[in-house]
Amino acid sequence: MAKKSLFDMKPVKGYEKKLEDFFPMERRCSNCLGCKFVPFEKIKSNRFGRNCPSVWHYNFNTYSARGRFQLGQNIIEDGYVKFEGQALDAIFNCQACGACDVGCKVTRFNLEPLAHNIALKERAVEKGLAPVELKAAANSLTKQKTMLPDAKKANRADWAAGLKLKDVSGKETAEYVFFPGCQYAYDPELQKKAKTYVKVLQKAGVDLGYLGKLDMCCGGRAKQTGFREEFEAEAHANAAAWEKAGVVKIVTPCSDCYHAIKRQYALLGIKVEVVHAVELIADLVKAKKLKFKKTLDVAVTYHDPCHLGRLGEPHEDWNGTEKKILNQVHTWEPPRPRYAGTYGIYDAPREILAAIPGVRLIEMERIRENSWCCGAGGGCSVFNPEYSDAIASERVTEAQATGAEAIVTACPWCEINLTGIESDNGTYLDVVDIIDLVAKAL
Amino acid sequence: MATKDSLKTILGNANVIDNPDVLASYAVSHSFDKNFKPWYVVKPKDAETVEKLVAFANETKTPLVPVSSTGVKLRGDSVPGVPEAVVVDLSGMDKILNVNRQQRMVVIEPGVTYDRLSAELAKQNMVIAGSLKPKKGQSVLTDIVEAVPRLNPMIQWNFFDPLRCAEVTWGDGTRMSTGEAAGGPLDLKTQWGKQQWQVQYMGPWMTDYFRLVTQAQGSMGIVTWASLKTAVKPLIHQLYVAEADDLADLEGFVYKAMWTRFPDEIFILNNMQLASLMGKTQAEIESLKEVLPPWIVAASAAGRELIPEVRFEARSKDLIDIAQASGLDLKEGLSNLSGRALYQEATSTDGDVYWKDLYAGSHQNVFFLTQLDKTGVFLRAVREIAEDFGYPTEDIGVYIQPKHQGSSYHMEFTFPYDPDSAKQTARVQDLTESVSVAVADLGGYYSRPYGKWAGIQLNKDAQSLMALKRLQKIFDPNDVMNPGKLAI
Amino acid sequence: MALTREFYRALEDVVGGRNISEDPAVTENYRCITAQSSAHYGPEDTRTPKPQAVVLPGSTDEVQQIVKLCNKYKVEFKAASTFWAAMGFIGSDNAIQLDMIRMDSIEVDAKNMLAIVEPFAVGGTVQVEAMKNGLTCNIAGVGCSSSTLAGSSGWVGFGPSSIFTGIASENLLGAEWVLPDGEIIRTGTLGSDGEWFCGEGPGPSPRAIFRGWTGTAGTMGVCTKIAIRLHPWPGPKWIPVRGTAPLYMADGLDNVRAYTICFPSWDAYAEGFRLLYEADVCYLAHRQFNMFGRDIKTALVEIFTHPEKQFCDIPALVEDPYLKEQNADMKIDVQIVLAGFSERDLDYKEKAFDAILEQIGAHKSEYYLQQDIEDFTKLYLLRLARKNYNYTLCSSYEGNFGLSANVFVAAPLMEEAAALKKKWEQTHTGVAAVGGDSDMGSVSGIGGGGTTGWEFFVHFDGFDRDSIYDSKAHIDETAAWMKEKGLGADFGRWNTEVRHPDGYNYTQEEHDAMYSKIAQPGLATYQWKIREAFNPNHLTGSYYKTATPPECKGKK
Repeated sequence: MAKKSLFDMKPVKGYEKKLEDFFPMERRCSNCLGCKFVPFEKIKSNRFGRNCPSVWHYNFNTYSARGRFQLGQNIIEDGYVKFEGQALDAIFNCQACGACDVGCKVTRFNLEPLAHNIALKERAVEKGLAPVELKAAANSLTKQKTMLPDAKKANRADWAAGLKLKDVSGKETAEYVFFPGCQYAYDPELQKKAKTYVKVLQKAGVDLGYLGKLDMCCGGRAKQTGFREEFEAEAHANAAAWEKAGVVKIVTPCSDCYHAIKRQYALLGIKVEVVHAVELIADLVKAKKLKFKKTLDVAVTYHDPCHLGRLGEPHEDWNGTEKKILNQVHTWEPPRPRYAGTYGIYDAPREILAAIPGVRLIEMERIRENSWCCGAGGGCSVFNPEYSDAIASERVTEAQATGAEAIVTACPWCEINLTGIESDNGTYLDVVDIIDLVAKAL
Repeated sequence: MATKDSLKTILGNANVIDNPDVLASYAVSHSFDKNFKPWYVVKPKDAETVEKLVAFANETKTPLVPVSSTGVKLRGDSVPGVPEAVVVDLSGMDKILNVNRQQRMVVIEPGVTYDRLSAELAKQNMVIAGSLKPKKGQSVLTDIVEAVPRLNPMIQWNFFDPLRCAEVTWGDGTRMSTGEAAGGPLDLKTQWGKQQWQVQYMGPWMTDYFRLVTQAQGSMGIVTWASLKTAVKPLIHQLYVAEADDLADLEGFVYKAMWTRFPDEIFILNNMQLASLMGKTQAEIESLKEVLPPWIVAASAAGRELIPEVRFEARSKDLIDIAQASGLDLKEGLSNLSGRALYQEATSTDGDVYWKDLYAGSHQNVFFLTQLDKTGVFLRAVREIAEDFGYPTEDIGVYIQPKHQGSSYHMEFTFPYDPDSAKQTARVQDLTESVSVAVADLGGYYSRPYGKWAGIQLNKDAQSLMALKRLQKIFDPNDVMNPGKLAI
Repeated sequence: MALTREFYRALEDVVGGRNISEDPAVTENYRCITAQSSAHYGPEDTRTPKPQAVVLPGSTDEVQQIVKLCNKYKVEFKAASTFWAAMGFIGSDNAIQLDMIRMDSIEVDAKNMLAIVEPFAVGGTVQVEAMKNGLTCNIAGVGCSSSTLAGSSGWVGFGPSSIFTGIASENLLGAEWVLPDGEIIRTGTLGSDGEWFCGEGPGPSPRAIFRGWTGTAGTMGVCTKIAIRLHPWPGPKWIPVRGTAPLYMADGLDNVRAYTICFPSWDAYAEGFRLLYEADVCYLAHRQFNMFGRDIKTALVEIFTHPEKQFCDIPALVEDPYLKEQNADMKIDVQIVLAGFSERDLDYKEKAFDAILEQIGAHKSEYYLQQDIEDFTKLYLLRLARKNYNYTLCSSYEGNFGLSANVFVAAPLMEEAAALKKKWEQTHTGVAAVGGDSDMGSVSGIGGGGTTGWEFFVHFDGFDRDSIYDSKAHIDETAAWMKEKGLGADFGRWNTEVRHPDGYNYTQEEHDAMYSKIAQPGLATYQWKIREAFNPNHLTGSYYKTATPPECKGKK
């Protein structure tokens, strides 16, 4: 195997952004409210018109991307504010869901609110000011190769017990390596679903393997929570493991892993082909390698996971220069990639649902690039469950408003965070992993 | 005598009147409220004189009652409500100061009447949106400043349209103009020289000064000119009518027509009000009332200078279609009522006897604002009260007029009675008092609170009363402007 | 000037601990950096004063209690919702900021065509609720992300559709208002009957003091709820959108047409406006895209409708032969939307529109007849969802000139104004060089037409110190030109009348010097008296223009 074929390990230009690099953005933000509302052309009601969980919940401007731009300016440039008190609260109570990023880029070309939010977290982490729960999770990542509390490295592959799955950490090879992610690997309920994924893919004839003892966390959550060093270490460790195992293609059922590997790893120069399981299944359905024989008769709504949807766009290499034209028009030559959520994974899960007889998909108001976060992002479910639950409750309420009987999703974090959550009217809605519908209908 | 001398000094001998008969004529109105004869009637000819007069009134605490219209006084607001008052008769200030076709603006003094203004505007193919058959001597300016509803509510983006700017001498004696006009000098000619045509009525800063003289019954100041927005005169026009047995049957059509903004004029009349409008004698009204349908809605289509036929045809056909979809047959006329004749009557000024007085000799009105879907509630309540008083319900005239592009509806009940009959007079007085209270209880809004309505309305709204008191203290600190009228 | 603990605790009791903060992370976030925004005023790093606390009231009762406490403790206050403009921010060190974000309800009475809205209901959400009922609302030119209530109560409030939907003042019905002294007034029908449909009277309208031409810019207490008139919308309950983010286009609005008129001259422009007013054909009329500048406006629309393109493509697009020709064709242009309430209505409007064009020798831009461009334009104008494009080019702008509300006065001056700006663009580097004329013109500043708005966009980079100062100097020059022409205050200098360059309030003496010698001093002296009557403790800053009446000099 040619060692340089998959990973050149050289960070791409622009990745090394420090908080100070964001000064121009902080000053160029125009307070348009794009980071507080769903893009107005797409908004369908006042009730479900907001896009940012953080400012929706906390209300103070500081908790919005615009507020964080001003906060960054206040902290770094002006010294009016220190990394303490509500500054830290606003910095960390951000799901890093990217809704603000999409909202901003509807009209702006030179602002990166999500990257700025994360840069603020990174600076706070550097100063040792992260919430203790997040520190513990990052510590666990280093030691146990997972950010889930109490999970042990030794138990990482337990989920695969009983499966006839190639272990590529040894001599076996496979076209696709199944990368379950921590939730599917450790959560007892989700372990069953991971097995279902494997069985469904195998049934369709996919040549599937797993990483066995080399499997570990993607580290994506570390990136979202500001633990950049830990994330990079994890990414490099994974890359090394994949090199060793001869990984060609990765399939993951986890949206966080998908985003981390597809977008964040690419920024580090780690470029491996990764697909989310729903993409693969949708292709298999289209190719008639998976055929649904049973009718399910259920009305469902689909929750777009942030990291599969708007943050699931592929990375684009860019190596241009910043310039001003026409005296004061700031731009880049050639055009710099503008991740506006356009090319996220939205259609594949919907195609699967459409193919299952009897499944009626009723869309929520906030979908696709404007999906409302489940609340779990940015580590919020770990260190601030009350807040995370409030955000989940808002989503369940929105789902209920469609009249659907269940929420279907394609991300274990969303699944866990939405399950058992009361809506505004005090009732609950079933939360279903898309693979369970698929398996049931086969 | 000192007062008379001072007034003569300010106004000139000929413009200060204390002839008892003349004074008495200024104390007569349709209102049952207590009236006082003025001590003097003065007739200023210009704003400077008005300014001096108000300054004098402040020095001497002399009540001033502005009057601009001539003829029968229908509401009593321009009759002194306190003794020792001086009536300021502005009917002689009757110049049309400026007509501007480019901007469709006209600037008039208080004494200008509809007939004169219409004739002048017609020369340049313009028209002012009128009220329902105003009296001959009706001041256009007062009619509009007092927010009497217009037959064409579509021109009213603002509640007070077509009123734009005004020149006011406030109760404290300060003369200033309102809206755009206040941004320049008082002298209009200077403003016109800069192509400033008094178009924009708001502010001009943070206070809408013009709103303080509207619906004020002369209690805040005296308006000496106003600029008004006119419309282009239609080249083709047809007032269509549709009949209905119940008021509720008209609701769907009116809402939809208002939504489309297709009509120019649009209003609702019951058979009695319609008969009063069309009939020339008591007998004619009586017989018309019998044959006319219980309710009609009138809505017009018009074509103006630009492709008039196309607009007229589109509007006509669409209005007819909307009516049809609402279960109404909108036509050029009914068997006994021509739409054109109705338009002619509705938009012309009155004869020697006010049209609502033709039937029985006099009348009382109760009018207020509501929403269209609530009009039925008032109708039922008023009829029940009338029955309780033994008043013939078939004699009650009803007029409903959308205002402000339909955001509110003027509802007006007219109770004709014989003023020579003490019993009828007493009955209608008691009846209208009861109706007035009941209307208020049901949520009818006396935005123009004449007579007793002021007390009824302001008793329901302590904070507005408080605000008005504070404002009156600013603009009329000595309470010289038509005191006793607004119950502030 | 720290707040007393008693005052803070009392505020906390009113709104609850999670809805008040004096943490610098929060309070520093409620300072407007005026020089970087469209206030564009003062030194580049100057901010409005820091509030001593930020409070998030959740109801009118809470607002009233807060205002009463402010009166008791003599602390200034100001409420704002979207903080779009400098006027929303306080002007004193002894002040608290009310952020109205928690109050965002919208109720629509479809039949009677009105909506009852709270402060944080923005144009975009009010409109989307209205459209479900076949209705729409006036959205001020600032865009649909601004508060409907703030526009209706606090500032001018006309926009592209005002020719059909009227302006904020005209649409304001009943209003609930916490006066600066803590009393609550409910105007019109609301005060007596709890109904919202009329805000006038009883008798002379008390609303006169809350909402003149400019609104009271947050100085007459806190408006907590208003009703506005809604206007007919003949389209679907929600405008279908096609295209992928961020390019969205209206889909299938067959009875709505968008055109760009190319005028042969400024005289024709003025005459065209007059005819458009008289023919009542327009659903919307606005000189929109010229705000990017005469030379590059078509290039910008190309970029917005082709997401793969960015500003670095401007030079090539400007030189593209087809676009160059089209751009030149629409040197003097206006965007128009026609909406048909029936087939006949649309037919009439199309014919009337064509007749007007013929009469003045104008024509429709070919470029804007392309389906995608027309559909982008329709969505842009109808929803005003992308008013942040005002800022996109350079991140900041300030409007200048203002010219005259009378189109027959302003139009003949346009080329001179444009030349003045173009010269600046060529001789200085602080202002974006876009071709001089960057006027965004409201066809109607009043319902039904009759006045016009003129605003040249001075695009500058809010990050770039030199750009800030250079653009400021440019506006100083245009302000002098405006004065020389007798056109009144320059649009870009309105802020100089209401707060100091350092962001602080003016004193009464300073206001006296500014306003006691105006043509009609009553404007300012009556406002002084109104303030004394309704705001006796002077707690709302100096945006409220006053002059001490001569007879009151020396008195409080």
